[in-house]
Amino acid sequence: MGRPLVRPSVTPLKTATTYKGKSGQWAFLGHRVSGFLVFLFLLLHIVDVSMVRWPSVYDEIHALYGNVLLRLFEVGLLFALLFHTLNGLRIVAVDFFPGAVARERRMLGAVVALTVLAGVPGGYVILKPFLDGL
Amino acid sequence: MSHRPVEPPVRRSFETWSWFFMRLSGLALVFLALVHFAITHIVNDVVETDYRFVADRWENPLWRLFDWALLALALAHGANGLRWIIDDYVRRPRRQMVARAALYSLSGLLFLAGTLTILLFPT
Repeated sequence: MGRPLVRPSVTPLKTATTYKGKSGQWAFLGHRVSGFLVFLFLLLHIVDVSMVRWPSVYDEIHALYGNVLLRLFEVGLLFALLFHTLNGLRIVAVDFFPGAVARERRMLGAVVALTVLAGVPGGYVILKPFLDGL
Repeated sequence: MSHRPVEPPVRRSFETWSWFFMRLSGLALVFLALVHFAITHIVNDVVETDYRFVADRWENPLWRLFDWALLALALAHGANGLRWIIDDYVRRPRRQMVARAALYSLSGLLFLAGTLTILLFPT
């Protein structure tokens, strides 16, 4: 690869991942965890969609997604996706618009509020077929 | 938190492009990923998106392009994010190399599988 695997400019772990324990620390952690979970789902999702070459296999695997446990999982995926998207927009704003830095805390509040505001009705729509069947 | 915006380093290193790529692909994925999720989970129920649904949708080459762009950008964005996570938590050079090799081969393999799935799907 021609460059050192551990970049010399990188500070040790204890300081590299710490924003002094304030709200930015939680935003960072939430971004990292939600991104990691969405990525794991993406890997799984590419495998299950690749089965579309064999229609009956695809449909058999696909039918599992209607299960209530997987519906709950999809609601979780929606929340992770919404938080990661909105917080990502907050990061872009902070990086590209100098004026946004002073408002980053309030923007994080908006990120959380919008995640809940969009996630709850979205989650309801995903769970509705199960709730109707009760 | 620092109270000044972080200026990208002047020297355009690989990590600068990596930083820039995450912002650009992220912005594209706001559209691609959310539209995809809305179509497959909100507008349609997930059980309706069976083989027939995929076949009908992929009749249109533009949907194939949409899905391929989502595949490529989401994989690259996610793999680069996981590379950052590996860099933070796997500090020993040998282990870091193994973890990176595993990440790159898995992502590459799935990119190939996804690309072939979209490309070779019969019309």
